[in-house]
Amino acid sequence: MARTSFHASRQALTAGATLLVVALVVTFSSRGFLQQHEVEVLHPSPALTRVFKLSEINPRLAGSPGDTDVYLYEGPGEGGTLLIIGGAHASEIAGTMTVALLVETLKVDAGRVFLIPHANASAMTHDEPQEAHPRHLVFQTAGGPRKFRFGARFTNPVHQWPDPITYVQPGSGTMLAGAETRNLNRAFPGVEDGYLTERVAWAITQLIIRENIDLSFDIHESSPEYPVINAIVASETSQDVASFATISLQSEGWEFALEPSPPNFHGLSHREWTDHTKTRPILLETASPVMGRLRGRTDADLAVIGKDVQYMKAARIGAINVPFDENGIRSTRTGSPSSTAWRATWPPSRRSSARSTNWCPTASSRWAAGRRPAS
Amino acid sequence: MLAPLWILLIMLAVFVACIVLLRMPNGLALILAGVAGSLAGGQGVPVHHLVEGAFAYIDPIMLIASAMVFMASLEDSGALGSISRSLMIGLHRQPVLLIMGMTIFIMFPGMITGQSTATVLTTGAIAAPVLIALGIPRAKVGAMIAMSAVYGMIAPPISLPTMIIGSGVDMPYTGFELPLLIATLPLAFGVNLALAWPHLRRIDLQAVLPELGEDHAARYGFRLFLPLVLVAGLLAAIRLVPQVSVSIGVVLVFVIGALAGAVTGRRFNLASSARRSLRQALPVMGILVGVGAFIQILTLVGVRGMMVVDALALPSFWKFVGVSLLMPLFGAVSCFGSASVLGVPFLLSFLGHNEIVVGAALSMFAGLGDLVPPTALASFMAAQVVGEPRYLRVAKYTALPGIITALWAIGMILLANPIAKLIPR
Ligand SMILES: [Zn+2]
Repeated sequence: MARTSFHASRQALTAGATLLVVALVVTFSSRGFLQQHEVEVLHPSPALTRVFKLSEINPRLAGSPGDTDVYLYEGPGEGGTLLIIGGAHASEIAGTMTVALLVETLKVDAGRVFLIPHANASAMTHDEPQEAHPRHLVFQTAGGPRKFRFGARFTNPVHQWPDPITYVQPGSGTMLAGAETRNLNRAFPGVEDGYLTERVAWAITQLIIRENIDLSFDIHESSPEYPVINAIVASETSQDVASFATISLQSEGWEFALEPSPPNFHGLSHREWTDHTKTRPILLETASPVMGRLRGRTDADLAVIGKDVQYMKAARIGAINVPFDENGIRSTRTGSPSSTAWRATWPPSRRSSARSTNWCPTASSRWAAGRRPAS
Repeated sequence: MLAPLWILLIMLAVFVACIVLLRMPNGLALILAGVAGSLAGGQGVPVHHLVEGAFAYIDPIMLIASAMVFMASLEDSGALGSISRSLMIGLHRQPVLLIMGMTIFIMFPGMITGQSTATVLTTGAIAAPVLIALGIPRAKVGAMIAMSAVYGMIAPPISLPTMIIGSGVDMPYTGFELPLLIATLPLAFGVNLALAWPHLRRIDLQAVLPELGEDHAARYGFRLFLPLVLVAGLLAAIRLVPQVSVSIGVVLVFVIGALAGAVTGRRFNLASSARRSLRQALPVMGILVGVGAFIQILTLVGVRGMMVVDALALPSFWKFVGVSLLMPLFGAVSCFGSASVLGVPFLLSFLGHNEIVVGAALSMFAGLGDLVPPTALASFMAAQVVGEPRYLRVAKYTALPGIITALWAIGMILLANPIAKLIPR
């Protein structure tokens, strides 16, 4: 009897202690997780006309974690209309950082420019478990340190859950793994009252239609072992603009391939924008070692500078398609998509022109340190 | 900061020490091994990464918990016993047909949901008493159920490991039906018949029936099976009308099924049978929590990348050895993790062989992980279902079929291009 009660009280003690430890860990770590919901402040350039919410286009997004800022810049002259979105996949910082850079530095001479730095705002609020990604990237600037969030590929499951067993794309009927329901770049053209991710996709597609956007960029990154990297993906309608940009980049030593948008791969921005709007879509894909399955030690330096011993080894054995040495990938990330945008924009259409001035000198030089153009 | 190989060895040493010397639960040992790895990698004690990693498998954990409660409800209501009774009465004259029918029957939920544990716990649990009544030893029945569940998970139409590998290289999930059938059906029939063969004999129905328990169907009628019909109907609705699942997930479906079980058959206390079933599932759920944290630290300190690159660096012959050892071993930690972390780079490394067939074959290696101890999720669950107290005895009988499956998968990779010609365009 005494033995039983001793056993029972010992069990209660273990259970109590375990619960206490769990409570402490939860309290201690929750602050960090909640910090990822704090949206970084951007300081738009003087050229800004107005900022509005995506929910202006799809009111069903109002007050939801999928609502996000759209920055509109109008030039004094007549011209075409341009859209650049970043953060469709929030772990692909070339997108989020390039568009943030444009928001703060853009000057428009003619036409209009729409910028969406966090296309999937919900995906900015969490990290993918097991990827061990950094939560924030900190850059030293003249005005002090600036902190930018590093998000995840998919919509936060706290905002859209549970996933179905399989994702059947509305419209095409293509079947994908269930988690892809939270992938913005599989949800286009979107559904007005569908899943949160589909609502966001619908709003962006409708923005393109409503504003008669001529040229649309969707900035991405992928792992160095992925077959389509350092590439410009263009559809039937944007092939001419994209090939001009590719040649122009190559003439300056930037190795970019021109990839056609597959006609049957549904849900992707370039495919669905071609099929459902009049815009000419372009997707930019640079290589990011912090996303790769072959990467070694994972931290903010890997995300920004991109040096990695495992990828050097992988390049030696021919497991990846991009040159990778002790300086990382020989190409640039935030430098290149914005210069591609710049190049693709104005000469062929000769209607809209956007210029961007240099921003955040320290950050730029850190990027440049890791990524020299291929010679 | 140590080299990744040393960090890995330290993590493994701490893991083993925690289990053998301190007799800790596996899940806790995995988390402490993660802490050790992070310290060795110069990252301190990263509470953020440990917590985030621990949540990686929250969905499978909830699925296991709800499926276990559903099964307990079906068992206690008398529905399971009644189904195995009817199957036995219907097919007792044709033992070979009975085994083949049972194989497809067990595989079915896996084919639809892409999950092996849910399969073991649903149709596996229904088939178990029938197979045991045929005179097949419990451990062998467990192996048959575990193997069928793994083949069911890989078989079309829904093969989650294949989808995961495919989404890693942006390959749409089309054209996989035939390669996945080639990968699973012949093996499933062959393995189960081989396991059952020595025990197949003329079945004396009158001697066997009493072992299957009393006939509850006679008392409650069709009402007894309503929970199963309800769950099957809801799962089908989710598949056929995808928008329905905006509000209903598989977890909720199982919970609804469990509640229905409490009012459609023999009276029982749902709360206490739920507690009993959750206690059974707790070790596996604990392992999944620990594994999530463990892998996150492997990634953080660079061990994961080292493992992948070293595997890819293997010369051709050793690459096949590597894929057949590493993917199931990683799969023991997590089948889906193995498909994603190793399946994708291996798919890229077998370039030149048809990628659809190779993808199907690689998902077999990942699926085998559910049979590899110490986790051996499918064998562990199957042991519960057949009432075999030591799941390693089930795992023992899955060893040879597992090796044959790995050889079959290697064959598929080597013959990928001829097999691909059979795929209808
Ligand atoms: Zn992307």
